This record gives sequence, C-alpha cells and structure tokens, in this order.
Amino acid sequence: MLKLPRKTVINFVLPALAVLLVFNFLSCFKNPVQKTFKPHLSLIGLVKRELLGIVFYHRNMVLADKLQTDVNLLRWRLFDFRELSQENARLTNLLNFKQKSSLRLVAAKVIGRSIDSWSSSVIIDKGRYNGIKTGMAVVSPQGLVGSIVESSENTAKVLLINDPNQGVSGIVQRTRQEGLVSGTLGTSLIMRYLLDDAAIMAGDIIVTSELSQIYPKGLLVGRVVKIGREFSGLNRYALVKPVVDLANIEEVLIIIP
Amino acid sequence: MKKLFFSLAIVILGTLGLNWPSFLNFFQCKPDLLLIFTVGLVFYTDFKTAFLFGILAGLVKDVFLPWHFAINTVCFGTWSYCVYRLSGQITIEEDYVRWGIILVAALLNNFIIGLQSVTTGNIMPPGIFLRNLIIVSVYTTLLSPLVFKLTKKIAALS
Repeated sequence: MLKLPRKTVINFVLPALAVLLVFNFLSCFKNPVQKTFKPHLSLIGLVKRELLGIVFYHRNMVLADKLQTDVNLLRWRLFDFRELSQENARLTNLLNFKQKSSLRLVAAKVIGRSIDSWSSSVIIDKGRYNGIKTGMAVVSPQGLVGSIVESSENTAKVLLINDPNQGVSGIVQRTRQEGLVSGTLGTSLIMRYLLDDAAIMAGDIIVTSELSQIYPKGLLVGRVVKIGREFSGLNRYALVKPVVDLANIEEVLIIIP
Repeated sequence: MKKLFFSLAIVILGTLGLNWPSFLNFFQCKPDLLLIFTVGLVFYTDFKTAFLFGILAGLVKDVFLPWHFAINTVCFGTWSYCVYRLSGQITIEEDYVRWGIILVAALLNNFIIGLQSVTTGNIMPPGIFLRNLIIVSVYTTLLSPLVFKLTKKIAALS
C-alpha cells in the first residue's frame, strides 16, 4: 500500500482537498449571490452605458460643432465662389462687348450710389487719371447707362438715364420717330415731344439718335411700354423701360471719344 | 477729440448713405442719415458745434450729388438754426417731440429739394414726388433713434 509521507500530505493533499471543498461549497452559494448582485450589476451596467453614452454624446456634440463650423465655412466659400462666378460672367460679358465694339471703352466699377432719393447717380472708380472727362457717355453691354457729370482724379460721377436732369435724344428704331428721353426717378423713362401722329407702339425699341452730341448713334436705350397724350394735348409721350437694370448696375464702360 | 469723432461720424454716415444696401430700400427710398445727425447735434451739443457740423454734413451730401447748387449745405444750416430757436420755445426733451421735429425737418428738406428739381424743368410724376417726400421722411424718422444714440454717445465724450 502506498504510504504518503506525512509532510507531503500536509503540504499538497490537504490544500488540494480544501480547494475542491471550497469550489464545491462555492457552487451552492453561486446562485443566491448572483441573484443578490444581479440588480446592482444591471444598474451599474446601465449607469456605465449611460456614462459612455454621455461621453459619446459629448464627443458627437464636439464633432457636430466642428462639422457645423466647417459647413458654415464651406457655405461662405460657396457664396464667395458664386459671387466670383457671377462677377466673372459679368466681366466676361463686358470684355466681349469691349472687344467686339468699335468704340474705345474704359471699364469701371461702381463704388457708390446716389446719397439721396431725389437723384439717380453712381460713383465709379475711374477718373481723370484714366482719361475720364465730363460729358462722356457711359454704357453697359445691355445698353445706355448715362453720362459723366463730374470727374475727379480717381473717381467720376455718372448721371444715370433715369435721373430727371438727364436728357437723351432718342429715336424709335422701327419708324425713326424722334423724341427726347428723360428720367423720372421711377422704373421707366419718358420719351417726350412725339408728334400726335407719331408711328410708335408698345414694344418698339428706342435707340440713341445721331442728334445727340454725347452719345454715339444706335445705343440701345429701352423698350416702349405705354403711350399717352401730354397734358397740353399737342404731343404724345411714351413710357420706356430701360434695358439696363440701373438699380443694380455694378460695372460700366465709358466711351472715350 | 469730440470734434474729430463728429467728423468721423459724418464720414461714416455719408459712406453708409452712398452704399445703402438695396434690400434696405423702402419703395426705392433711402433714409437721410446726415439730416438726422444734423438735427441730433442740436439736441445734444451747443448751437455753434451743431451749426458747424450741420453745414459740414450738408456739404458732404452735396459733394456726392450731381447738382451744382449746394442746397443741402444751406438747408442743413437752416434746420440747425430753426431747431435751436425752437428748442428755446418748446421743450425738446421728450423722444416723441424729437421724432416730430425730425419728421418736419425731413419733410421740409425733401419738399424744398423736390420743388427745386421740379421748378428747374424736370419731369417728375406726382407719385414719385410724393413717394420721395413722404416715404423718405417717414423712413428717416424711423431710423432717427439709432443716429440720435450715436450722436448722444459722441456728445457725451469728454
């Protein structure tokens, strides 16, 4: 029969038996202890999940803020690009017009508008230094804009055709009927001194006549929208819608004679 | 120092008038900020300063107009004097009195300019004349508290 030494039994066998006993004994406690701990563990799990959620939310919030900033930046850039693209289109249009035109033209940017509502004028960024002088005609690729009334070293004042002080000798393109086109400060111009039997009708195109000393002949002024009789009954007048959007004009061309 | 700020305010208001955003135009009308400033100066400073800067404001306005006669310089100086004389007759401490004064000044100023334009032979439909007379004056009055605030702040500087 195997006989273990006493020392071996004390050192190895008895601890092994004790461990086995503890494990068997533990299994009896497992369920009740687990049941007791379950609510706490669940609660802790829930809290942990929520805490992680808060961390996650915070991280997302920071990310969302950053993305929002990026979106705003990109929106501004897009806005800038759109502005540049529109400016590019306008300048290309001006350049094309300048190249095709036989007139000597100087391009200028509008830097200021009329300071009050009783006049219609704009200030441009070109002046005497660029050869701009009082009396020169101002046009855009669409048609007639006005004339220079004042010129300083680096700026000039343009009196638009819808100012009441402005007068342009115009003719009806279809019938060559002459009249004087002047501004009314409104959205339409008025063509006066038309004969009672003048051949003119709504839709007719008005261009500058050769009688004008400032404007070259044949510049597009506008289109007739309405015809009426003057108060005196001697003449008729025509309301003319200018072809140029004078309220929003940004670039112009000055005709150098 | 104060005078420098008044001059600066005239430059700023003049620039704002020249570049008034079109989306803020009301029936194609813009307010007369320099007129408000001129009248506001009478309320918050002594007559001499108000008169001098009123004339300067009128001059700035006339410089940017296509007319040769400095009508605003004359008118602004006149309004300064009239409001100063009026302030000796009635109390002008209440806000609504000040708004009333600016409305009357704007109406008279616009009427004179409009009349000058019409009498020089320009054609102006009655609708446009009334629009420029009434809407500009009311718009000017509505914006007066803001310019008054600026004038008061500059006047309060030592």
